[in-house]
Amino acid sequence: MTRLAGTLVIAALLAALPLATQSDFVLTILVFAFLQGMVAVSFNLVFGYAGQLSMFHAAAFGIAAYATHLFMQHLGVGYWGGVLLGATLVAAISVVVGAICFRFRLREFYFAVVTLAFSEMARLTVLNWNSMTNGSLGINLQEKATLWIPGMGVTRIESTVGWYYLALAALGLTLLACWRLVHSWMGRAFAAIRLNDELGDTLGINVFRYKLVAFVAGSVMAAFAGSLYAYFLGSLEPGYLSIDQSLGIIAMVLLGGRSAVAAPVVGALVLTALPHLINFSAEVRSMVYGAILIFTILVMPQGIYGTFAQLLRRRHA
Amino acid sequence: MLEVRALTKRFGGLTAVSEVSFAIAKGEIVGIFGPNGSGKTTLLNLIAGLARPSTGEIVWKGTDIAGWQAHEIAATGLVKTFQNPQLFSELTALEHLLIAGHLALKRRMGWRRLATLFGREQISVDERARAVLALCRLESAREARAAELSYGEEKMLGVAMGLMCDPELLLLDEPASGLGAEEIESLENVLRDLKREGMTLCVIDHKVGFLRKLADRAISLHHGAKIAEGTPEEVLSNPDVVTAYLGRAHAAI
Amino acid sequence: MTQLIAGQLLNGAIVGTLYGIVALGVTLTFGITGIVNFALGVFMMFGAYAAWYFSDTLGLPYPLAVLAAVAVTAAAGLVADQALFRFTRNNLVNGLLVSLGLIAVLEACALLVFTSTPKELHRVLPGIVMVAGLVLPKMKLVVFALLLVVIFATYAALTRTWTGRAAYAYAQNPEAAALMGVATSRLQTGVVVYSCGLAGLGGALYASLYSLEPTLGSLFILKAIEAAILAGIGSVTGALLGGVILGVTEGVGSIYLPLAFRDAYGLVFLVVILLFKPAGLFAGRR
Repeated sequence: MTRLAGTLVIAALLAALPLATQSDFVLTILVFAFLQGMVAVSFNLVFGYAGQLSMFHAAAFGIAAYATHLFMQHLGVGYWGGVLLGATLVAAISVVVGAICFRFRLREFYFAVVTLAFSEMARLTVLNWNSMTNGSLGINLQEKATLWIPGMGVTRIESTVGWYYLALAALGLTLLACWRLVHSWMGRAFAAIRLNDELGDTLGINVFRYKLVAFVAGSVMAAFAGSLYAYFLGSLEPGYLSIDQSLGIIAMVLLGGRSAVAAPVVGALVLTALPHLINFSAEVRSMVYGAILIFTILVMPQGIYGTFAQLLRRRHA
Repeated sequence: MLEVRALTKRFGGLTAVSEVSFAIAKGEIVGIFGPNGSGKTTLLNLIAGLARPSTGEIVWKGTDIAGWQAHEIAATGLVKTFQNPQLFSELTALEHLLIAGHLALKRRMGWRRLATLFGREQISVDERARAVLALCRLESAREARAAELSYGEEKMLGVAMGLMCDPELLLLDEPASGLGAEEIESLENVLRDLKREGMTLCVIDHKVGFLRKLADRAISLHHGAKIAEGTPEEVLSNPDVVTAYLGRAHAAI
Repeated sequence: MTQLIAGQLLNGAIVGTLYGIVALGVTLTFGITGIVNFALGVFMMFGAYAAWYFSDTLGLPYPLAVLAAVAVTAAAGLVADQALFRFTRNNLVNGLLVSLGLIAVLEACALLVFTSTPKELHRVLPGIVMVAGLVLPKMKLVVFALLLVVIFATYAALTRTWTGRAAYAYAQNPEAAALMGVATSRLQTGVVVYSCGLAGLGGALYASLYSLEPTLGSLFILKAIEAAILAGIGSVTGALLGGVILGVTEGVGSIYLPLAFRDAYGLVFLVVILLFKPAGLFAGRR
């Protein structure tokens, strides 16, 4: 009961935040943090819960972003049409990539390497298909995201406050979906696969099927995040699909923690806000991501959330 | 219920199980005796589908299941436990049973179980899991993680997981090995309770005393072949069996 | 046309030996410490920049600069091993994550110190050589020969010296080797240092042929890993062959397919091999 109460309190505070602060700066950081949080939480579903280290997540993020724009441009659909088509494309690609990997029973590390290879292939495609993607120059997005609001019809979302609520809602939905999934029998199947997949197999859990479901679900959630992120930022570039981006996602999850559905959001908040609070150059930011990755693996594998949770448990015991 | 005919398993030049034939009737506890290397575990693995027989038939409820996959066989009610408990280190005992109940859930609900993902929680599996925990005298360990359990509790959890699969015949591979006297007594009580509820059991173990008290009928293996069959007393007083266990010099118990 | 193909074959083979020497480091590290060290790419970059620094800024003669670069890179490898890799033995996923972290840190450092402006070594060995009617810079041949020598020397050391055979035995059966007196942790550290040295050598020689950028390591390590997996991680001569196969494919491929596909060949090899023949093409052979 207290957990539900705590969640509602936090949600209320977050919803009320724009009323308290006029700072565009703070709200912008939070929008980025929420959207990156979506990516991190969906990655944790695949990595933290199902135990598969997917290096394809950033690719899902980037492919959806580009696809949304291209569908809008070439098919004339509206924003959400583009988003849905983009997500569908990512779903289809993930099914293929995942089916290939899991059919061949690739174990964790080799799964990471093969998904890395597919991710690089995607990035090279985006980088070199100049006619569609403008290559390394990227694309400045002229269109804006739109939303149907009762009473106002389809409106463009251009203000930071508007984006704040959209991003918050998107993160909330992602968290809700992941939470339901994790606490259901399917979530238990994921845990079984992560901890001892041979045993899961003998107990009748179709390991291939559930690994694929986790992989595709996670990738699709990242796809939604990518479509939103690109339209908030206003530009597309091949760097969305880079290994650096994947690294950032992994760092967020490891920093925040893998043990709870919402834990990666902590990591996303810290890593998104940090470079803005302390003026980092891009190089120093990379260094910080790398150092965090090393630090969390060697010293604090449960992440911030996990360490706190453990301290609280010990205090109560 | 289960009939094994001329079952043989060869690993290259080694014959682990040789032309073994026996039957298990519903509701009885059959014990399999034999020294190390006599092929007991291999025999059980063959029956459960964890190994393919070289020749022979395994007739379960009228169908020859030789060559079937382990989870297919488990789905028909023939379940085997592991000698070394295979567990999920971070999960609680209750969660283990809920996962073990997955197969039953799938069989019972089919595709409709997807509705429980975002809707109402599936209660019946939870109830059954608690019932099994009670039966196995593991209630105190319900919320304990597998890594925290004692060896005896781990083994009992293995049996409990087997029970969650709705078995009609439960094959137990050395359930008493590594257990202290008190734990063995607890195990005996659980197995007798199971028999009383109508379950059929087939148990292999080293501990002659434990199996002699428990089993209705017994067979004995030596070098992969069946050398005796009958009540535990008959089998254990059979001179061939004694020689197999103790060597030629000690022909009297 | 055949001239073009022959030229690309030769060039591909030479680039392949560069892939091969790093792939050798990858294979050795995997066999003895149980992880795939992605960071060997940045060690290569480290060696390249070190060679440039010693030669260009400090004015040392090139061969001395190379030796100094190798020494410095090996030392860096020692530090990295003691501080980081020592804690990820046999844990492939953690090893991957830690290497990725190290890559991010070192590349960023290099960007800060050297900036992304490409650096070039003064002409080390100017002049060309005619080989069967093909024009080849002398330096490329020197590099090719040097790398081959080092790779075969490593092979010889593994099969003939006591340390080498101990390493090989350890890779086969760690427990047995330990019981027979092989000092495992020293062996593991030694292999990591040696692999970093190899990568540093590759980098230092690379510096004599191409211009340097901080990201050269990342480009190379993926190729080196592709080469190692193609050949079969664990095969020493395989590492060289894998590298050459990859280099040649890229070279010849770029004649027929647009340049953009060059990086894709290795990726396709990687996926196909891991799916269909995970042990690699030369699995089982030394």
